[in-house]
Amino acid sequence: MNNDIPLNWFLYFAAASFAIGLVGVMLRRNAIAVLMAIEIILNAANVNLVAFWRYGTPAPGSGPLPGVILAILVITVAAAEVAVGIGLILLCYRRWRVADVDRYDTMSG
Amino acid sequence: MPPTAPPLDLRDFWRIAPAAILAFWGLVVVLTDVGLARRLGLETRRRVVGWLALAGVGLSLVSTVVMFWLDSLAAVDPERLQELLGASLGDYFARSGDVIFLGALASGVSVDVLNILYLVLLALVIQLSTSYRFTEDWGECLALLIWATVGMMFLSAAEELVTLFLSLEMMTICLYILTAFEKSRPRSMEAGLKYFIYGSVSSALFLYGLSLVYGLAGTTRFAAIERILTGAGTVDPGLVGNLAGTTALLLMLVGFGFKIAAVPFHQWAPDVYEGAPAPVAAWIVTGSKIASIVALMKVFLHAARPWSFPSSDMMGPGWLGIIAVVSAVSMTYGNLAALVQTNFKRLLAYSSIAHAGYILVGLAAAIVSVNGSAAAGALLYYLVIYAFSNLGAFAVAAWLARDRNADEIDDLNGMGSERPLLALCLAFLMLSLIGVPPFGGFFGKLYVFMEALNQGPSQTRIILVWLVALGLLNSAVSAFYYVRVLKAMYFRPRSGAGLKRAESAVATPILLSTLVVVGFGLFPQPLVDLMKSVAGPMLISSSIEAAVSAPPAVSTASSDVSR
Amino acid sequence: MASILFLVIAAIGLATALGTVLSRNLVRAGLYLVAFFFAIACLFVLLEAEFLAAIQVLVYIGAVAILLMFGIMLTRDTLGDDTTAIPVGWMIPGLFGGLCVFTVLAVGINNSIAPSGWTPWSGTTSRPSIIKQESDPEPAWVAERREAVNDMGRVIGVELMTRYVVAFELAGLLLTAALVGAIALAHRADSAPKPPRSVEQAAGSGPGADPPSEAGEPVASSLSP
Repeated sequence: MNNDIPLNWFLYFAAASFAIGLVGVMLRRNAIAVLMAIEIILNAANVNLVAFWRYGTPAPGSGPLPGVILAILVITVAAAEVAVGIGLILLCYRRWRVADVDRYDTMSG
Repeated sequence: MPPTAPPLDLRDFWRIAPAAILAFWGLVVVLTDVGLARRLGLETRRRVVGWLALAGVGLSLVSTVVMFWLDSLAAVDPERLQELLGASLGDYFARSGDVIFLGALASGVSVDVLNILYLVLLALVIQLSTSYRFTEDWGECLALLIWATVGMMFLSAAEELVTLFLSLEMMTICLYILTAFEKSRPRSMEAGLKYFIYGSVSSALFLYGLSLVYGLAGTTRFAAIERILTGAGTVDPGLVGNLAGTTALLLMLVGFGFKIAAVPFHQWAPDVYEGAPAPVAAWIVTGSKIASIVALMKVFLHAARPWSFPSSDMMGPGWLGIIAVVSAVSMTYGNLAALVQTNFKRLLAYSSIAHAGYILVGLAAAIVSVNGSAAAGALLYYLVIYAFSNLGAFAVAAWLARDRNADEIDDLNGMGSERPLLALCLAFLMLSLIGVPPFGGFFGKLYVFMEALNQGPSQTRIILVWLVALGLLNSAVSAFYYVRVLKAMYFRPRSGAGLKRAESAVATPILLSTLVVVGFGLFPQPLVDLMKSVAGPMLISSSIEAAVSAPPAVSTASSDVSR
Repeated sequence: MASILFLVIAAIGLATALGTVLSRNLVRAGLYLVAFFFAIACLFVLLEAEFLAAIQVLVYIGAVAILLMFGIMLTRDTLGDDTTAIPVGWMIPGLFGGLCVFTVLAVGINNSIAPSGWTPWSGTTSRPSIIKQESDPEPAWVAERREAVNDMGRVIGVELMTRYVVAFELAGLLLTAALVGAIALAHRADSAPKPPRSVEQAAGSGPGADPPSEAGEPVASSLSP
């Protein structure tokens, strides 16, 4: 198709999402907000993977859909990570009553 | 019409038997703990579950040793395999050293040796974790330790980016949970959350870098990536003009650097090592580090080898310079920060940051040295000694935590006179970490630094001399803080209540670690040779990979040579 | 047509991502995140991976976002100060930093070097065709890919059971470990005085039942500083 979407557009979108997620990770102080920003970065990587899969010519031996399989597994890992993260955040919240990453600083040095 | 399935050899499942046994046994441990929870008291339950877990580790160790024996037999006497296992299996095991699961995992002696190492370390860690009571959820704790090890075993065998990422996440997520397990101490929960936040961010960045590498190479397998990145001819392009590649590699380095606690990705390490219960910290600092370094070696020395430096100019753009800088900064920062520590576990944390620096010198050595696999073997030897030294040190920290409920260096005062044998063991471990002969640490550093300088005939300009010099200087500086531990033990009188007698759960890891460190310091050659034979196959493509044809031609139908 | 669709979806995606990151109200940030996930799912559809789009909606929106919402609701800030916003002083430098990161990545993407013989990313203006041509013979991978795109569910199933079976089983084990671990973390410690640690002094009492206290910690004395 000659009116197809160029590959670069997908990559720019993913890069922009990555940058936004990175800004969120650096700037937000609430642990759950940081978790949300991490999810944005993971989704940007997923878009990258699937775009590279569709637009690239595959090398032999990797199968017909390495990018998509990796994207599915990343979604799985992200779900597990969020579950563990919410568990840890709730654990700390019970103790300190806030979910602020800067507040958790009893250790120093 | 159903899709054609790629020809998976079902006999490959035999090869992952050790990891599969461990994974299943973790479930057994959890279920047993749940089943016994109502019937037995807490202490009995802890002991029973602990022994059950050790039994599982023992089973897995037996299967790994059998695998190792079969693989070494395959090299020497393949016909005997036919006799032992029958035609089909014998034929299968005779082809040891190939990639299995259609390229997802490596197999062979190198994988078996590393598995044995993890299992021995795991057994010691499990024994250590039954020594004091930091949690009530014993089944879950031991199961998570076991499952983290499953992740480590797959991580060192991974030959593909997909398996690499999954096993990396498996290992780290189990460790995040374990760090927060000591719920009675707020520091533990805080350490768990901190570890989780830093770790998740770095693994997200790692994944983005991984996606860019996949885009640049078009495949996920290391051997194929190396071949494609080299391109036509045999000239390595380095990272000249390749901003996307540089970014991708830097992002992957963020992920790996976090795992090995290299500067500037080290922020989590002091807090996590201090906050986590000592056995968990021991596992983070030994097993997880070894597995991550093996994975780092595979990715950087195998898959991303063409990007290390341009063949035309060793000082040109490539990851060698980046690794050298990270190494230098880690060594220096780790040592300088350790000088002011008063907490024993934090001291060990900063010392392990410094050791990450030395280990990266080994990585640089493996790429510049004339004999790359010998350098990689030296690095693995260093890792083994480092792991056992730290395991023993954290066992002492567990002992302190159990009896004194604190882990300052001052709590070690007077240990030399009270518990002479174990104090001597700790002294040996500290000396090994400094790098004093005749302990293993000395030989580890010696071999690594020698390989870093082994760059060819005398006329070639030797680069990285400054890195080795900095390493030596830092080793000298590190003596100051390790010696502080010795001073506390031997030259200070006891303060407060003394340490009670160490039961076997604490004493065995300490004694065994010291034995390994001293033994392989007096006789380093067997372990060095073993590690060289392990490292060699890791870094080169196996014969099966070489048979796969070149990148696909766009013209007439060339048959897809997939394995 | 496809380009316009892409531009609309990408704009929505970026706007909702910004909304997630910059929004003061966490619940609103969560909702923006749901919209972002949906935009990503639409992009997957544009990339002809509809199965993946379905999984994205089911897992990310249906599980992850719901879990985040629960987390937000359970950790409402009760001490009164607002920790959920970006400190004002950091906003401009942060956005500027993000812009720098994006620029570096965009330049890298634009000038990427492709392996020899392949078109670089900037030259790839259309996806490889998988429409069956009667005239010229096609490389084998095209047939494979056509099958993958047309019948993605089955091909994913086959791949997950053969080539990626180790990764698949690891993912299953990972979910089990996360489940076991999260339950262990959430399991409330009893409010008995902190038990002695060393083996010899063990009282040997089992975990006592504790009437659940309201989102609270057990007696403060049972915690060490």
